[in-house]
Amino acid sequence: MNKQQFEQFNSIPKEKFAFATQSEKLHDKKLDTKPTTFARDSFKRFCKNKASVAASIILGIIILLAIFVPVFSSYGIDRVSAAERFLEPKLFEAGTGFWDGTKKYTNMVYDIDNEVPAGMYKPAVMNLVVDSEPVLSNQASTYGRGGYVIFENQTSNGSTINMLTSDTFAVTASGNYSVTLDFGDTDNVGESKLGEYRIYLSGGDEPVVLRDWSRNYSDATFNISNALTTANLDVIANARLVFELKSEVNVNSYILIKSCVFTANEGVSNLERLTTVGFTDATQMVLIAKDEMGNFPDGYWSCTGRKGVYASAVYYCSFTYDTYAAVYDQTEVVYAKSDLERFEAEGLCEYDPAIGPESFVRLSDKCPIDSIVSQKLNSRTGQLIEVTALSYRYRQMGYSKMPKFIFGTDSSGIDLFTRMFQGLRTSLVLGVCTFAFCFMFGLVWGAISGYFGGAVDLAMERFTDILGGVPWIVVMTLCILHLGNNFFTFFLALCLTGWMGTAGRTRTQFYRFKGMEHVLAARTLGASDWRLIFKHILPNSLGTIITSAVLMIPSVIFSEATLAYLNLGLQGVASFGVLLSNNQQYLQSHSYLIIIPSVVMALLMISFNLFGNGLRDAVNPTLKGSEG
Amino acid sequence: MWKYIAKRILLALLTAFIILSLTFILIKLLPVQRFLGTTEQRTAYYENEVRLGYLYSSDAEIDGIDYADKITYDDGSVKYYYKTPVMQQYFNWLGNIVTKWDWGKSVEIKPNVDVTVIIGERIGTSMKLNIISVIFSVPIGIALGIWAALKKNSLTDHIISTIVMVFIALPGFVLITFLMLMLCYRNAILPSQWPNPTDPTSRKVLGYILPVFCLSFSSICGYCRFVRAELCEVMESEYLLLARTKGLTRGQAIVRHALKNAMVPIFPSIIAEFLSIMGGSMILEGLYGIPGIGDLFIKSMSASAPDYSVLFVDMAIFTTFGLLAGVLLDMSYGFIDPRIRMGAR
Repeated sequence: MNKQQFEQFNSIPKEKFAFATQSEKLHDKKLDTKPTTFARDSFKRFCKNKASVAASIILGIIILLAIFVPVFSSYGIDRVSAAERFLEPKLFEAGTGFWDGTKKYTNMVYDIDNEVPAGMYKPAVMNLVVDSEPVLSNQASTYGRGGYVIFENQTSNGSTINMLTSDTFAVTASGNYSVTLDFGDTDNVGESKLGEYRIYLSGGDEPVVLRDWSRNYSDATFNISNALTTANLDVIANARLVFELKSEVNVNSYILIKSCVFTANEGVSNLERLTTVGFTDATQMVLIAKDEMGNFPDGYWSCTGRKGVYASAVYYCSFTYDTYAAVYDQTEVVYAKSDLERFEAEGLCEYDPAIGPESFVRLSDKCPIDSIVSQKLNSRTGQLIEVTALSYRYRQMGYSKMPKFIFGTDSSGIDLFTRMFQGLRTSLVLGVCTFAFCFMFGLVWGAISGYFGGAVDLAMERFTDILGGVPWIVVMTLCILHLGNNFFTFFLALCLTGWMGTAGRTRTQFYRFKGMEHVLAARTLGASDWRLIFKHILPNSLGTIITSAVLMIPSVIFSEATLAYLNLGLQGVASFGVLLSNNQQYLQSHSYLIIIPSVVMALLMISFNLFGNGLRDAVNPTLKGSEG
Repeated sequence: MWKYIAKRILLALLTAFIILSLTFILIKLLPVQRFLGTTEQRTAYYENEVRLGYLYSSDAEIDGIDYADKITYDDGSVKYYYKTPVMQQYFNWLGNIVTKWDWGKSVEIKPNVDVTVIIGERIGTSMKLNIISVIFSVPIGIALGIWAALKKNSLTDHIISTIVMVFIALPGFVLITFLMLMLCYRNAILPSQWPNPTDPTSRKVLGYILPVFCLSFSSICGYCRFVRAELCEVMESEYLLLARTKGLTRGQAIVRHALKNAMVPIFPSIIAEFLSIMGGSMILEGLYGIPGIGDLFIKSMSASAPDYSVLFVDMAIFTTFGLLAGVLLDMSYGFIDPRIRMGAR
C-alpha cells in the first residue's frame, strides 16, 4: 500500500460507513459440514494409513481364499495319489524357466546307454548338460563304464589267491585260441602294490601256464593253442583261465586288469560263447551277480580274495526336469476290444478295424485315446483283439486336461494350494472361535471387575494373577495330556489363557470411564448398573478393547502352527500347523512344500499386525478429530 | 519400599506355589507311567516311588483296585504297586520338596536318574545361549532404535521400521527354517545340527551362530521398536527444547538429556526379557537339536515316550522364571526411575 492509497482510505467520510448486518437477525446457524459418526471418523483415519489398507486387502484375499478354495477347488484333498507326489509348483508353461513345474538337478549320475539321467523319464528332461569329463570312482555302479577289475589279496603271509572264470570252456590246440589281456596304464597306480602273479589254464592234469610268476604288467596276447601244443595236449574240455596272486609281507598286493578278450579261428563251435567269458568293460563284469536260480551266469569271474572295480568312469550331468511331463506324458497303452467298443458306444470315438489305425476319429475331449498306433487281429477270424493307442496318462487318471498345481503337490500327491487353504480355514475357525469366546468372557469379567472395584476387583485380580502366571505352553500340555490332541482341547487351552488380556483391558477402560461426568450424570438420574455398563461405559471403550482382542486370531493360528511344528499339534484335523509339520521333513528335498506355506503364514501375520495397528490408531478415541 | 518388594516377592512365591500344586495334582491324576527296563531297574524305580510316597506296594493283588504296575520276579513271586490317593501324594510331595529337595526320578529320558540332575545338565546350555544372544541383541537393538529415532521420517527410519515390523510379525519357526535351509542345507556354511561335545572347537563355535542369530533377531527388533518409540517421544518434549535454547548442541542434548530419559523404561524390559528367555526357545531348541530345557520339554511330552516327572520340573522352571521376570520388571522401574514410587497409593 503506497502513501497515496493510504491517504485515500484515510479520508473516507464518516457517512459512507454502514453496519454490515444491521438488517438481519442473528440466529444459530446449521453447520455446513456434514455430521460424522465415530465409525465413519475411524474409517476415515484408517484409510489414511496406506500400509494398513494394503494389509487389510491382503488379509481379505487370504481369508476369502481360505473360505472358498476348499469348496471350489477341482483337486480334492482326500485324493491320495502316490504317482502325483512332489510335483513342483506350476503357473506358467514348462520351459519358461520360472514357476513352470520344473526342478533343476545338478550332479546327477548319467546313464550313457539310454542317454538319460539315471532313473529319469527321458521326454521330461530338458537342458541336459553332461559333464565332458567322467568322474573316476572305485564304486561299482550300473552307470559306471570301463575301469579296471581290481583283484586283491588281503592276506599278508605269502599265500596265494585265485581269480578265475566261473564258467568252463573248451579249448583245442587246432582252433588257434588266444586270449588278449590289457593291463592298462599301470603307471598311475602304486607300482609297489602290484603283486607277483601268474596266469594259467586249469582243467587239464597240469596247469597250462601262459605267464609264469612275475611282475610283468605289459599287455600281451597269449596263444592258448600254442601253449597246449607245447604241453602236448590236444584239448582241454573244461578249461578255466586263472590268475593266481601271491601276497606280499605287510602290503596288500593286487592285480588290475582292464580287459580280457578271447579269440579263436572262425568256425570253432564255442566262438560266440568265448566273448561272454571274457570282458571288455570291467565295471559291468564286476556287477554281474547270481541269477534267480543261484547260478553264476556266463562271464562271471569268481575270486577268493577281494574283487572290485577301480577307476570306473561315471558321467554326471545337470538338467531341468519337467515333473509334470514325467507323470502325465503321452504313453502307449494297450486297450482291449471291449474297452474300445465301450468308448465307441459312449460316443467318444470312432474306429474301423477293417481300415486300420488311420480310421480312428476322436469325437470327444473325454476320450482317453489320442491316436491308435497299431492293432492286433485274430489271425484266423480276422477279428479285432486289442489296439495299442497313444494316450496321455492324466486322462487315465481322470483329468480332462493337464493338471496344473499352482503350488505343487505334497508327499501324498495332494494339491498344496487346496490343502493349505483348507488348513488355514481350520486354523481360522479355531482362531475365530477362541476370539469369540475369550472376547465375551473377558469383557464380562473385566466389566464386573472394573465397574464394581473394591473387594470384588481384588479377588478377581488375584485369580487372573494366578492363572496368568501359568505359561500357556503348560496349560496346553496339561490339556493335551488329559484330553488328547483334538480341536476341542486346543480351543479349551487357548481360551483358558486367552481371555485375560481382554479382561485386563476392559477393566482398565472401565476404571477410566466410570468416574467420568456423563456416567455420574446418568447415575444421578437413576440409571441402573446394567444401563451404566452397557449404555454409558461399554460403547466408549468397546473400540479399544475389540481392536486389541482381534489380534488374538493370528496369535491363535501362530500358537497352533508352532505347536504342530514341534509335533504336539492337532491330530486328525487338517490344520495349517499340521500341514507345516508334515512337510517339515521335505525341507531339503522339496523345499517349496515349506517355503510356500511359510510365506503365506508370514504374510498373514504381517497383514494381521499391520491391520491391527491401523485399527488401533483409527479407533483410539484420544485421536478423534485430531487429523481433520 | 522394602516392604513393597517383600510383598511382591511373597505374592509371586505364593502364586508359584499355587500353580505348582495345581500342576502337580493334574499330572498325578494321569495314569501312572510304567517303567520299562530290567527287573532290577524297575524295582529300584518303583521302590523309590514308594519311598517318596507316590505308590505303595503289596505282595498280593488287592480286589477292586487296579494296580499301577506289577513286577514278576524270577522266583515266581509277584509284587504289585498301587497308586497312593492324589491328595496324599500331594502332601508327600510337599514333604519331599521341603525336607529333601527330591523331585523324583526320570522314567524315559534317562531312566532312574534324578530329574534335578537332568535339568542341571541342560539348563547350562540354554542359559549360555541366552546370555550370548542378550549380549548381542541389546547393543544392536538399542543402536538401531536410536538411529531410527534420530533420522525420524527419513528413508533410513522407514527402512529400519519396515524391517523391524516384518520380523516382529514373522513367526519364529519360519525364520529358523529359512535360515537352516539357506545356511545349513543349500550352502552348508553352518552345521545343520547342534554340534556334539566331541566335535572340534571350530564346529562348536559355528554351531552357536544360527541359534544366537535366531534368538537375538526378534529381541533386536523388539528393542529397536521400543527405543525408537521412547526416544521419539522424549525428543518432542519441552525440556529438550529448553536444553537446546540454553545453548547445548544437538549431540549434547541427545546424549545428556534425551537418551538418559529414554533408557528409563528400556532397562527394566531388558532385565525382564533376560529372565523370561532363560527358559530357552522351545522351537529353536527342538528344531536345531540343542540339548537345553526347551528341547527337554518337547521330549518329555512326546506322545510315544512321555516323561511326566521331567515335564513337571520343566514346567516349574518356566513358571518360576516367568513370575520372577514380572516381579523384577516391576521393581526395576522403581529403582531406575526415581519418579515412580513403588507401593505408593
